[in-house]
Amino acid sequence: MPTIAMRLYRRLARAFPHEFQIVYGTDVIQLGEDVVDDVYRQHGVFGLLRLIVDIAVRVPVEYLAEMRRDLAYAFRTLWKSRGFAAVGIISLGLGIGVTATSATQFFTMILKDLPGARDPDRLAMIGAASYPYFEHYRDQHDLFAGAAAFKSAVPFNISLQGATAKAERIFGQVVSPEYLSVLGVTPERGRLFDAEIDKPGEAPVVFITDRFWRSRMNADPEAVGRTIRVNGQTATIIGIGPKDFLGVVPIMSAEIFVPTTAPASMVPELSGDIVHKNEKAFGALVRLAPGVSISSAEAGADALTRQWDEETLDPARNVKGRRVQLIPAGKILPIPREMIPVMYGFTAVLNGLIIAIACMNLANMQLARAAARRREVAIRLSMGASRFRLIRQLLTESVLLALAGGAAGLAFAYWATNELSKMRLPAAIPIHLDMHPDWHVLATTLLLSMVAGLGFGLAPALASTRTELASTLKEGNVAQMRGYRRFGMRNVLMVCQVAGSLTLLLIAGFMVLGFQKTNKVDVSFDGRNMVLFAVDPVRDGYSSDRVANLFDNLRDRLKTVSGVRDIVVSEATPFSAQLGGSVLSAPGEAGMSDQVVRGVARNIIGANFFAAIDVSMLEGREFDDRDQRLDPAKTPGKSIALPAIINETAARAFFGSRDPMGRRISETGKSYEVIGVVKDLSAPMSQTSTGQQVSAVPVLYLPLTRSDFASPPLGGMTVIVRMNGQGGPASAADVMQGVRREVAAVDPNLAIFNLRTLAEDVDDATSYLRISSVIYGGIGTFGLILAATGLAGVTAYSVARRRKEIGIRMALGARKGQVLRLVLREGGALVAIGSVLGLAAAFGISRGLSALTNMFGQAFGASAHDPRLVFGAPLLLAGLAMLACYLPARKSTQIDPLKALREE
Amino acid sequence: MTKAENFLPLKTNWFHILLSLAGGEQHGYGIMQEVLERTGRKVRLWPATLYGSLKRLIEAGLIEESSERPAVEFDDARRRYYRLTRLGRRVLDAESERLQELVHILQAKRGMETT
Repeated sequence: MPTIAMRLYRRLARAFPHEFQIVYGTDVIQLGEDVVDDVYRQHGVFGLLRLIVDIAVRVPVEYLAEMRRDLAYAFRTLWKSRGFAAVGIISLGLGIGVTATSATQFFTMILKDLPGARDPDRLAMIGAASYPYFEHYRDQHDLFAGAAAFKSAVPFNISLQGATAKAERIFGQVVSPEYLSVLGVTPERGRLFDAEIDKPGEAPVVFITDRFWRSRMNADPEAVGRTIRVNGQTATIIGIGPKDFLGVVPIMSAEIFVPTTAPASMVPELSGDIVHKNEKAFGALVRLAPGVSISSAEAGADALTRQWDEETLDPARNVKGRRVQLIPAGKILPIPREMIPVMYGFTAVLNGLIIAIACMNLANMQLARAAARRREVAIRLSMGASRFRLIRQLLTESVLLALAGGAAGLAFAYWATNELSKMRLPAAIPIHLDMHPDWHVLATTLLLSMVAGLGFGLAPALASTRTELASTLKEGNVAQMRGYRRFGMRNVLMVCQVAGSLTLLLIAGFMVLGFQKTNKVDVSFDGRNMVLFAVDPVRDGYSSDRVANLFDNLRDRLKTVSGVRDIVVSEATPFSAQLGGSVLSAPGEAGMSDQVVRGVARNIIGANFFAAIDVSMLEGREFDDRDQRLDPAKTPGKSIALPAIINETAARAFFGSRDPMGRRISETGKSYEVIGVVKDLSAPMSQTSTGQQVSAVPVLYLPLTRSDFASPPLGGMTVIVRMNGQGGPASAADVMQGVRREVAAVDPNLAIFNLRTLAEDVDDATSYLRISSVIYGGIGTFGLILAATGLAGVTAYSVARRRKEIGIRMALGARKGQVLRLVLREGGALVAIGSVLGLAAAFGISRGLSALTNMFGQAFGASAHDPRLVFGAPLLLAGLAMLACYLPARKSTQIDPLKALREE
Repeated sequence: MTKAENFLPLKTNWFHILLSLAGGEQHGYGIMQEVLERTGRKVRLWPATLYGSLKRLIEAGLIEESSERPAVEFDDARRRYYRLTRLGRRVLDAESERLQELVHILQAKRGMETT
């Protein structure tokens, strides 16, 4: 028994850390042998066990003690070279911070599950579908376990019954009764919508979110069963959702859910019997049937949709390609499947570059430091320290540095995501993006720092401990490191760094310039001379007949405000983003097939819209008051064609080179006659239905008619006030005051919102671009600074290395200029090679990204040949790099030959 | 000069080791045996713990390795010998005083109870 115990004991004793073993190893074994019999006699087997446990516990304790000592030592050495540590921490911190920020964005938007939903991976949605189509989808039990129709971002004017406070405008969803059960929502209180929700004679029901309940009802325990007023009508709260549940697409968060069974008097979006019309007014949410994959469900739904399109004579029935697209809906942001690799790719490339540059910088600095510390290392080796011990010591240092960098990066990420969450996106509805680094990001950051610390600390540590003691001790700090000459690791690193930063700078530059070019807003007058504001009378309780009169009245009153030139009532605002989602067709001539155009944006505008923004018609006329009095709903028969104006892109798309004037454009059940053509208005951030950014979207302008007053858009009805002459901010304020006065005179209860000048409007719309320019610009600059510091380090090292050589040259009569050139030549070669590689990489990557998506294609296409970038960026980098080389190189000219030669 | 009070109250292991070295230098086995005997075989310093403590006592400057060897007949050449440093002695004294004071306080309280 004791012999077995001793065998184990000895093995454990040999596992002690090297340092402990040298001093106490034999003593511990000796003592164990001396006492083992005694212990066995006194305590038996239990005693032997104690003996083993004792040593088994002490081994890791001693390791921890060693590690603590390493850490303390590492901390002291880093503290001694604070400059080095600071640069390292900042560069790695920035690198990791930027990466962690975009990782946070990524995790929040793409990877985080939809809150409040059961089994979210099985959810998908079809972006646009009509209510009858949704009912068809619902019946496909072999494809879908369930389906629901929903209309998101619907504004509601809500007032709590009894409260005297004015109605508040909040956003919610109009949903088919199945919606909540398809999502798999478990109500916090109350119940979900069910078959009995539309009992005749009872008030309509609504379902509210936990957020609504807490923030607006003070978490009233009696809330379920209470009535509130929704758009002026009484409704009963039927249930409260679970915490964090904000409906599907939570970045357009919904506070309240109103079933499609509610009366149109309460929900203007349901007016015109929309649930029986073949109008793509809804989104369809589906839960995939068990065992059905999203792609097979999409194929199935597509075939069926095609069939129904034939039956309903949909104008888009002849379009090639997929008719419906199933988008995964179980995440925060529904993203089409084919976009996901693009987003992964771009994020990975950009972040990979940033991290790689930061790490290369760190590795380079470590190498330079290792060179400087060779004497210290040699002395310690000669005093008997083991090589493993020294490597561990050096690695501890670089890991400590990397972890500090990681912590700095995380702090940066917290700050940045906080700022990004505060950022207001240019949209009529509040877009809610709550971003905070979560444990995914923490883990990624920690991992990244460890990898950076170990990976980029290992090579320098190995290099600096592999040394010939005698020569190093003799030569001092200037000794050559083995294998670090012409194609040494430092030079390769340096070339990579230059190439990497140039790539980064160029891609960032392509993005910034490209976005700026494709999204420039071209307004021919001073934007401060136009005031815009919105009202939403339907939701303030007006009927559609009264709305038309109200606007007539309002126009007349507002014209009397001094300084006002034109008043236009409109749904669309000028120079706003065009979201092309409609499919229309132009009937073909004489045997030709119909010309179908997808991704058409439709703008409903009032009379004299173009005159107010100083845009003259290319052909025909624009809408006047007569067009605005049309009422297609009250016109018998379908023969009437509404007048329409199209932009140049639309004219080309529909009619090619033929004259568009007087020609017809049609969609399901509707037909339009082209009465005018305008130039393409600049529209920043425009998109077509496929989510791809395009510079010119085909736009169809339709006149504001009486039926449009009944269902105003998200942003309400916009009143555009064009002022006289050179107004400036002071007169805009005056006009705004006059506007408020006149609106109050017409109806004091009419709420004005979104009052702003056109300049502010455009500013808001492009704020996202400005922010991304700053971000990408920052990333480019960051790469530049890192590359410059890296180069300076390398040159300083090379100067130090060649000190003696330079001394001899100068002693032999070399002039300062010659010495300088000698040193700069080396740096110059590195920069040149790096620049060529960087340029190639930047073009390669931008090609690759352009091929992936039109969005980058447009931006890169607009900027990839911009001489400012193609020549400017390398020149800037080269200039900075040569400066970074020059500063340490200048030192070489100050070498005193006598001293340099005497040094050994 | 390091203050002896910084080490108080002493860890039990440390106290036993210092106490064993109060009589003169001693090797690991000797320390262990003395503690065993002093405590009536109740307290055993297990080998790895003992050397761990010795290492830390040396780092703290309370004991040191002795270079002098005892008389040849007692010398065990394979073993390292340890002895108290001046600081170690002061720490041991301070700890004894502290314990003594505690004993006095207890006695005073007992005395008050009986009267």
